[in-house]
Amino acid sequence: MSASFEQEIALEGDLHARPAGALAVAAGRFAAAIKVTAGGHTADAKSVLGVMGLGATSGQRLTVSAAGPDAREAVAALIAILSEATKVGG
Amino acid sequence: MSTGTVGIVLVSHSAELAAGAAHLAGQVSGGTVTIIAAGGTDDGDLGTSAAKVTDGLRRADSGAGVVVLPDLGSAVLTVRAVLEDHGEAATVLIADAPFVEGAVAATVTAAAGGDVKAVAAAAEEARHVRKL
Repeated sequence: MSASFEQEIALEGDLHARPAGALAVAAGRFAAAIKVTAGGHTADAKSVLGVMGLGATSGQRLTVSAAGPDAREAVAALIAILSEATKVGG
Repeated sequence: MSTGTVGIVLVSHSAELAAGAAHLAGQVSGGTVTIIAAGGTDDGDLGTSAAKVTDGLRRADSGAGVVVLPDLGSAVLTVRAVLEDHGEAATVLIADAPFVEGAVAATVTAAAGGDVKAVAAAAEEARHVRKL
């Protein structure tokens, strides 16, 4: 069964290389197609370079959307990573 | 994913460049992937070393295969010569990709459990991703 989910988060830090990497590693483990959108730009969540290319900064709102069999779990997992990883920076 | 993650070998003319790219890719991907820096000649000069590449391929392979990233075209000659000499059972793909971006993208995809084809493809897609 396929489904679509999305959730928004306000970043607590800039989306630097390490949080972008953590996001893409986690995204790559799901079957669902997952996108992240910030500032009018959208990237494939499984592409670390695409995610870094968003240039998402602290305070910006970022939307994670997923479609596929594990879309709900994927969105929940990535939102959790974003809420933690962007506090650290790097 | 029963045989572990794909390993990465970074072949650079510069030992420092290979080591730095390996450090960066390891940090961004969370440190779960084996990344071997094979940079410089056996004497520590600028250039590539068949011995370092051979050793790197052996150390990087955990059964899931290896993706090799050369920094410049002439590093490919060394990698190809090594592969022809050894012809081992390990699945080795050479990625035609920008060195730093390709190393980071390949390692992240390996960390997520991608196979050798997916890891090489992630590296090669790097040339199409804009940073600005």
